[in-house]
Amino acid sequence: MSTGGTDTVVLARADDLPEGEVLRAVVNGKAIAVYNVGGTFYASDDVCNHGQASLSEGYLDGEEIECPLHGGRFNVRTGAPCAPPVTRPIKTYRVALRDGLVVLADPAELDAS
Amino acid sequence: MSARRIVIVGGGVAGYGAAMAARETDPDAQLWLLCAEDALPYDRTTLSKQVLTEGISPQERLLAPAEAFRTARVDVRTGARVAALESAARTVVTEDGTRYAYDALVLATGARPRTLSAVDPQAPVHYLRWAPDALELRRRLLGARRLAVVGAGLIGLEVAAAARALEREVDVLEAAPQVLARCCDGASAAAIERLHRARGARIHPGCRIERIEAHAGGARIVTATHGALEADLVLVAIGIAPDTALAEAAGLAVQDGILVDARGRTSADGIYAAGDVARLPLGVAPEPVRLENWRHAQDHGRAVGAAAAGAERTYDSVPIYWSDQYDHRLQGAGLLPRAPARTLVRDYGDGTHATFLLDADARLLAAIALDRGQDIMGARRLIAARAPLDPAALADPAQPLMRLAKQAASS
Repeated sequence: MSTGGTDTVVLARADDLPEGEVLRAVVNGKAIAVYNVGGTFYASDDVCNHGQASLSEGYLDGEEIECPLHGGRFNVRTGAPCAPPVTRPIKTYRVALRDGLVVLADPAELDAS
Repeated sequence: MSARRIVIVGGGVAGYGAAMAARETDPDAQLWLLCAEDALPYDRTTLSKQVLTEGISPQERLLAPAEAFRTARVDVRTGARVAALESAARTVVTEDGTRYAYDALVLATGARPRTLSAVDPQAPVHYLRWAPDALELRRRLLGARRLAVVGAGLIGLEVAAAARALEREVDVLEAAPQVLARCCDGASAAAIERLHRARGARIHPGCRIERIEAHAGGARIVTATHGALEADLVLVAIGIAPDTALAEAAGLAVQDGILVDARGRTSADGIYAAGDVARLPLGVAPEPVRLENWRHAQDHGRAVGAAAAGAERTYDSVPIYWSDQYDHRLQGAGLLPRAPARTLVRDYGDGTHATFLLDADARLLAAIALDRGQDIMGARRLIAARAPLDPAALADPAQPLMRLAKQAASS
């Protein structure tokens, strides 16, 4: 499904996501984890690429999100794997802040897999 | 000096983790991973779930592909069952006579199911621990109408849920007055029991089994409390016992588990133990404990593998577990106290909840949650912090637990 080039895809209200926290957004049927690291917002796929875990239920430790089941870690800024058992990067999405909303900077990234 | 030789016995997640962490610690060590099963290390957590419901092969759920062992230069031997440990000669011998000399040995031999006595050998009674058990259980389930599960622990209930997903009739027989008595508070256990009943499983707590007989191609379970119950198939899931045979034969200190220190060292020089088989000290436990969960097996295996390779590393952790049943996830953190001073239930009003068990100083000892994973992640930090907490905040669904955890961490 195409999201269209000019549509705004809202992930969250910035006010709903305090520093150091993570929440789960579902856009176009896809679950996205949205992070607030020291006032800067990031986003990645919510489902861990290792197991059946939702990263938004994990513990955000600085720039790293820890998977709630297996303990794997990803850097939420780069997507890089940081701790076993995860070995592959998690897909990240560029976000922007518009009128108090955290939005996808480029909704086309949703379609690219 | 020649390369350190490290032999790891056990192909579960602890043994696998030990091998990989040993390699990360010592690039020059020679590493052997001896797997008793005829398979590369695989994810055992699927055996009571997806293998039964979807028929996936455990071979599709390897912990790492074969090339990962080549890349890490781990000499992994499958079907390598260790027959003897000669600790004076620092050698293990497999059943085929191969001798492996070691400088450091890691025993990650895991555990095996406790068995039920008074069972007719002709009765279709199954246990579940290894891949072939799960594949056979699935095959038999597909041809069965009615399954009886003995034991309402996590494995028993996961199999019950899988059998209901396959639309089999299910009876669960439990000796204790509630399900999940070892890992859950009363409210969480009651929620799980309701879930099973709503999905059509019959739960029989307080059930005392006298014997299991072969009967009309199936089984007849004779109880002292619930009469006799018939089933085409019986799964016995009444816990596991650590596989300490090798360690005991070699004279290592064993006490329901191989005794180890915070670095995984056993009573014998150069021999370590990790995972389900080890009994270890933990910051949150007054006495050494043996843990039976995936996360501990992975993390302890890695810590001990690193220690065996020469790292100055001690292990401490707040235990956590999870269990998937139907489309729900039960999670817990901490060690369940026998008698908590206070029990708080945070009820979200949508069928999900978290229970917090506190000591007399309002410090968190354990938490159990249904479909509230983030609460468990927060609780794990709060348990580690050992700071007194505000019970009203803990019980208030409007206060995100993660936020309380971060506040505690920064104060």
